[in-house]
Formats: sequence, C-alpha cells, structure tokens
Amino acid sequence: MTQREGSLAPQADSSVSLLPHLEAKIRQTHSLAHLLTKYAEQLLQEYVQLQGDPFGLPGFSPPRLPVAGLSAPAPSHAGLPVHERLRLDAAALAALPPLLDVVRRRQAELNPRAPRLLRRLEDAARQARALGAAVEAVLAALGAVNRGPRAEPPAAAAAAAAAAASGVFPAKVLGLRVCGLYREWLSRTEGDLGQLLPGGPA
Amino acid sequence: MPAGRRGPAAQSARRPPPLLPLLLLCVLGAPRAGSGAHTAVISPQDPTLLIGSSLQATCSVHGDPPGATAEGLYWTLNGRRLPPELSRVLNTSTLALALANLNGSRQQSGDNLVCHARDGSILAGSCLYVGLPPEKPFNISCWSKNMKDLTCRWTPGAHGETFLHTNYSLKYKLRWYGQDNTCEEYHTVGPHSCHIPKDLALFTPYEIWVEATNRLGSARSDVLTLDILDVVTTDPPPDVHVSRVGGLEDQLSVRWVSPPALKDFLFQAKYQIRYRVEDSVDWKVVDDVSNQTSCRLAGLKPGTVYFVQVRCNPFGIYGSKKAGIWSEWSHPTAASTPRSERPGPGGGACEPRGGEPSSGPVRRELKQFLGWLKKHAYCSNLSFRLYDQWRAWMQKSHKTRNQDEGILPSGRRGTARGPAR
Repeated sequence: MTQREGSLAPQADSSVSLLPHLEAKIRQTHSLAHLLTKYAEQLLQEYVQLQGDPFGLPGFSPPRLPVAGLSAPAPSHAGLPVHERLRLDAAALAALPPLLDVVRRRQAELNPRAPRLLRRLEDAARQARALGAAVEAVLAALGAVNRGPRAEPPAAAAAAAAAAASGVFPAKVLGLRVCGLYREWLSRTEGDLGQLLPGGPA
Repeated sequence: MPAGRRGPAAQSARRPPPLLPLLLLCVLGAPRAGSGAHTAVISPQDPTLLIGSSLQATCSVHGDPPGATAEGLYWTLNGRRLPPELSRVLNTSTLALALANLNGSRQQSGDNLVCHARDGSILAGSCLYVGLPPEKPFNISCWSKNMKDLTCRWTPGAHGETFLHTNYSLKYKLRWYGQDNTCEEYHTVGPHSCHIPKDLALFTPYEIWVEATNRLGSARSDVLTLDILDVVTTDPPPDVHVSRVGGLEDQLSVRWVSPPALKDFLFQAKYQIRYRVEDSVDWKVVDDVSNQTSCRLAGLKPGTVYFVQVRCNPFGIYGSKKAGIWSEWSHPTAASTPRSERPGPGGGACEPRGGEPSSGPVRRELKQFLGWLKKHAYCSNLSFRLYDQWRAWMQKSHKTRNQDEGILPSGRRGTARGPAR
C-alpha cells in the first residue's frame, strides 16, 4: 500500500472543510493509542512479575493458548487496505474488555494483595472500549462501514472463564496471552492510525 | 500438626467447570506444546501443602502420534531446572518427581511447577501452595470516634507469615441477642484493621472477634467484649494557640478549644500537653490538665522555640466510669520565649564590647588563674583576650592621666596637673 493510499483522501465539495476536523480526530485517536500502548506495556510487566518465574524470565515461551473470539494480528494485516485494518482493530478492541475482565477476576483470587495490577486490568478494559469507540468514529467519518466479523463478547468471555477454571497455571498463561494480545492490538492500532496522518509512514 | 482447625483438604479441590462444549474444555484444560501436538497433564493440579512436607508429582504425556515418550522430559520450579536425580521415568509416557522438605511459596499466586519437553517447550504446569495454617489472631483493640463508628485493629498470629493468602474477617454481634455481623471496610488504619461505620448500639455490650482463614485451615481469636461508650475517642482540640506571657522569658501560655463533636454528650475532658524545643526529639508531657482549655508552661529556656501539641480524653460520657481513649495530638504549634536580658549563672559569655586589639605576652600565673576561674566561678568564659584588652585600656587611661597631670612617659612630672592617684 502506498502512502497516498493510506493517507486521507480528499473529499468532494463541502466535505473539504471537514478534513481538518477529521485529521484532528485521527491525530487525537492516534495519540490515545500511543498512550495506551505504553500502559499496556506496564500492565504486562506487572502481570508477569506477580505470576512469578518463569513468567518474567527472558525466553519464557508458554503455549499460545487459543483465545476464543480473538487472535493476534495476522502477518497479512499490514498488507490490507487501511479501512480494513481499522475495522479489524476495532473488532479486536471490542473483544478485549470481557477477556480482560475475566483475567482481572481470576487475578483477584490469585493475587488479592495486588491492587495496582487489578486496577490496571480494570482500566485496560475501559481504555480498550474507549479506543475502540474512537476508531469506530474515525471509520464512520471516513465513510467506511464496519462490515467485519465481530467476536461475540459473551462467548469469548465464557471461553476464557472456562480456561481460567481449569487450573491455576493455565489461568496464568491465559492471562499472559490476553495481556499480550491487548498490547499487540493497541500497537497495531497505533500503527494503522499513524498511516492515515499526513506524513505518516508508508 | 498445625495449630487451629483443619480447613479444606491439603489437596485443594478444583472448582467445577462451567457447562461448556467438551471440546473447548479439552482444548483449554491442558496447554499445548509450543511445537508438535503433544500435551501433558501434571498431577496433582494446584496442591496445597504444609511447609516441610513432601510432594510426589507426575507428568503424563499424550498426543498425536500416540506413544509419546517421557524420555527427555524435565521439570522446572519457579523457572529453575530441578536436578535430574529428583525425577524418574515411571513408564514410557510418565515422568515422576519427588520433592522433599518444601519451603514456603515464593509468591501468593503459587509456585510454578512446569513439565518441559526435551526441546524446552512447556507441556504442562501446576501451581504449588506451600505454607502454614493461620494462628490465632490476638490483641484486638477497638475505639469509637465520637460514638458514631467503631474501628478495630488486631495482630495476626505468627506475625502473619503463612506464605499463603490468609483472609481475616472481623465479626461482631450484640452480646445477648442479634446475629453475627461481618465488618466490610478493611485496612482503614493498617493492614489488620476494619471499620464499622454505622448502626451501632450504645449502653449494651458487643462481642467482637477475628477469624483467619487460608487454604490450610482457620483460626479464631478470643472474643473481646466492650460497650461503645467505654472506648470513645474524639478529635484533637482545635485552635491551639501558644503565646508569650508578657516579658516572662521562661513561660509560654497555651490555649485551645474543646472538641466540638462531643459538646452535646455531657462529658468531662482530660487534656494532655506535650512540648519540645525546636531541635530536640524529646517531648515533655504535662499530664494534669483536667477540663481546662488553657495552661501555662514554665521553667522554659529563654530565647528558645518550642513546639506544642494538645490532646483530649473524653471520659465520663453519659456517666461512664471508664476512661476514654486519648485523641490524636493536635497539629504542632510553635512559639518562642523572649531572650534573656542579663547573663544568668553559667550563661552569658563575657565578651568585650569593642574590638580593641590585645597585646601582651602569656603569663603563667594568669593562665593558672583563668584555669581556676573555669572550675570555680560562673563567668567561665574569661580569656586572655579580655585581660589584654583590659591592660590596653589601663595603659591608655594611664597615659591620659599622666598627660593631665603633666607626667612624662618616664614617670617624671610635667606641667599638666590632674588628680593625684
């Protein structure tokens, strides 16, 4: 995809005056994604620390448990049109909050004396919703209708709850997976929004 | 055997999984290997054990193609590889582990026992909870702020170190009737405290106790019985003012207002004052200040800054014969005593007023005299400098006198006349 394809397309007649507003909205959402990516990094660090070694050790490679309703960004994601990428970003951000809630509930049992971790997980769910809504607003402003497949949050949450109930170690691993996916999708969203900005990377 | 009641079984029971498609449970119940299709199950899953006990565990591999081998498998505990001599192959697909004399868990979420394939990939994990059952909490103390609430604090048994998450629950009930209630606002004044904000009865005793529970058992404190009216405290006295008493250099006057929250409850109050000099950490306490709202501090050092605090004890509420509980100290208020005008005994260096130069050699007898003065006199800061300045002054005044009398420097009289010495 070229930079021209990724950047804002000029609109006709009176919509030209909307471009500065649209650009401001995209810039604002991009800044939010950037900030939340940093928070997601902190969440991940705190999470691994509280699960104990080997979770925080370099080279730790747990099984990549499937999380129903949410997968990592595909390698082909970067090659998709920007509208399609943003749709996938929005869908992932909508699927994350119930999964983060499940992780928080399980961590409340495993680490009840870790209020900061629990607060970060709660904030992360709220922030994912907020960013997802902002991305949807950008898509709407771009005239792109969100046709993409959506995860059903209740099913995704129920699946995660089942995994959490199966044993402590798998629950720790699943929580790590969810926190990792959260960080990946935030980073992906930041990158995709950045390509919409004038002068953004190709 | 551990103290306290035996709680849940040492092998912690797994919660029953929710009703979900079996396939989803099978997929998520055991982690898959990072590569290949082999999975494993560790038994026991998430056991709870006493410190010092032993653990026998197994890692059973299964997968596609069938006949997965236990050869090459190994264990890690909290990321550290366990010595091979602790493991043995039970059969072609099962590796056993024997751990003895277990230490307390490193983290509250459980120690991570992991079974690895030959290539290091994780096949399965289980979390160990190694610790102690709780001991009986003790030393419960409670107080009521202005009769509106009740806050209690306690000490966990064995100083709280059980290596397992231990839940503390403060319970209370009216002594002769009523049901058990559970306090809900924890950690209000420290990690082992709870606050009951409302709906408390007066003139009737409460029974209060603490229950401690963890995976290995539970323990209950002794019951504390109290009447709210006997454990009342209040706010520190507001508006504490400290001021000088005219020019009196060793006194300060302290005034305050009685705490307003209890003004309607017909009580007498006792007060305590404490004060210290600015650079000191040692407080002096004035104890016998009963039902007054002013006091004069005496015997203070002149020219010194003092910090002063006041606190209140509301005793005798509604005729209660028991002493209340002292409030917190008021915020420190500072004031200074006037400087002293005259040098007191042992104080006031004998300093010259002017800067007249000194001269003259050191005299042994004078040195001895000054040494004697230091030991036996109050004006101990005499120095050679003062003596030399006196000598210079004497010479000057002698010269002036001689001029007046007409006496020449050699001692011969000149023409000027002055008073004869």
